Order: sequence, then C-alpha cells, then structure tokens
Amino acid sequence: MKKTLEFPADTASLSKIGDLIVEACRSVGFNEEEIGDIQLSVDEACTNTIIHGLGQDPDRNFRLDILSETGEIEIVIYERGSPFDTLEVKQPNSDAPLEERSVGGLGIYFIMNLMDEVEYRTDDEGTKIFRMLKRKRQDEVRTK
Amino acid sequence: MNITEAFQENVIIVSLDGRFDANTSDAVEQFLRVRISESKFQFVLDMANVPYISSAGLRVILAVVKELRRDNKGDLRIANLQKTVAKVFEISGLNNVLGIFKNPDSAIQSFTD
Ligand SMILES: Nc1ncnc2c1ncn2[C@@H]1O[C@H](COP(=O)(O)OP(=O)(O)O)[C@@H](O)[C@H]1O
Ligand SMILES: [Mg+2]
Repeated sequence: MKKTLEFPADTASLSKIGDLIVEACRSVGFNEEEIGDIQLSVDEACTNTIIHGLGQDPDRNFRLDILSETGEIEIVIYERGSPFDTLEVKQPNSDAPLEERSVGGLGIYFIMNLMDEVEYRTDDEGTKIFRMLKRKRQDEVRTK
Repeated sequence: MNITEAFQENVIIVSLDGRFDANTSDAVEQFLRVRISESKFQFVLDMANVPYISSAGLRVILAVVKELRRDNKGDLRIANLQKTVAKVFEISGLNNVLGIFKNPDSAIQSFTD
C-alpha cells in the first residue's frame, strides 16, 4: 500500500506523521521495538527537512510517501529546500566525558543505525529525495 | 506537552506528559531555564508519561545537564523511562553520562547520598 501526503514545514506536523508511521508499521507487522526505530528515523528525517531544509516556513510543504509491503516499509521524503551541506555522520563518542559531548548531530546517526537502507540524492529539478527502508527480520517473516 | 512540577526539599520534580520532540523541546528547555535563573539547580525529570523522545529532546537534556554541572551547581536526573524511550538514550550513548533512575524517589534520594 502506498500513501502520499503533504505537510507544512512546521514541527507541529511531527506528531501526526508519527501516528501515521506507527499505523503503517503495525499493518506490516513490525514489533514494538522496530516500530520505535522506524518512528524515530522518520521523525529525525522530517525534523531535518522542516528545520534545515525548509527553515520552518509553514508556507512551504514537503511530500512524504509511505510504502508498506509484505515484510518491509519504505519512506521517502521529497523536499525543495536548501541543499544538504555535508550530511556526514558524526559518531557519538560513548566514552567521552559530558563536557565533550556535542548537543547536536544525533539525527542522521540514529537513522543510519536503525534503518536497513538509507539514501539521499537531488534530482534534476533540484528536489532533495531522502529515502529509507526497513525490513522485518527474516525469522519473523518466516514464522508467519 | 504538559509540564508540571512538585517540590521536595531542594529538588524540583518536573513531570512531562507528551511527546518530547522538536515541537515541544523548546517549551521544556524554557521551563527549566526559568527555574535555573531562579537559582534552582537540582531537578528530577519524571518521564513516565513520555511515549516518545527524539534527538531534539536529548539535546535539551544534555544542554541543561551541562549547565547544571558546571561549577558543581547541581544536576538533572531522569526517572521512569518507558522502554522505547530508554532505547533512544542507550543508542545515543548518553546513558553513560546521565543520572538515570528507575523511579523519582531513587532519583531524589541520590541528591542527598
Ligand atoms: N533535509 C536537510 N536539508 C539540509 N541539510 C540537512 C538536512 N538534513 C540534515 N542536514 C544537515 O545535516 C546535519 C546533521 O543532521 P542531524 O544529524 O539530524 O543533526 P542536527 O539536526 O542536530 O544538526 C544538519 O545539521 C544539517 O546541516
Ligand atoms: Mg536533526
């Protein structure tokens, strides 16, 4: 099943998006931990789109596609905002003392760690496309 | 996000109710910063009713804890994490440096130990 939705670049959109993602994950049959992972990843990506891409301008929109299939979910964000700068993944240092921890930069790290596929690119028209996918673990799929 | 507070000796127990995300994190930060400006430095954050946290919430917690621990002024300690929320603390690595407690009572107690 495919859902295509439009949201304004407003952080108030995030809870609605979270609800829709949880619902789609349930229909695929993900367990609660996987649902938490997917919800976090989509929320982080949408937060970045809203804040970094579209500058929290509620007159600008972004598109969210949710594709739920047997055993997997794919989420694609389409956005025409400012280009990604580096998008390098900063590895949080779990041994560093508190003072050395940075207060930002965890979003992309979470997404990279929690999703099975992550891809971002810009198409010919300058639309940024951020795509991520997660599969149910094989042993779970087989026991169905 | 609904924010309420209770007082026990010098400790302020701040209870959050709702999602702790990019839409609500500013409200939590402001609330805590007002109390800090009133020279309150010991906090317990009761997260029993927080079903969801993102990096925006972690950012506020980290910023406030850094501020409170500077010159050993105080601390913010966390209690009652739901399972999926606890996982976000774990993968961030912040559970190594934050005071995380099972319930508010043990968090409050830790300030007098
Ligand atoms: N949709 C986006 N548009 C433009 N830049 C982005 C986007 N998503 C991420 N970025 C860049 O990647 C950086 C890292 O993102 P993230 O890991 O979520 O950390 P944070 O949002 O806390 O800065 C951001 O600071 C931003 O510069
Ligand atoms: Mg981010």
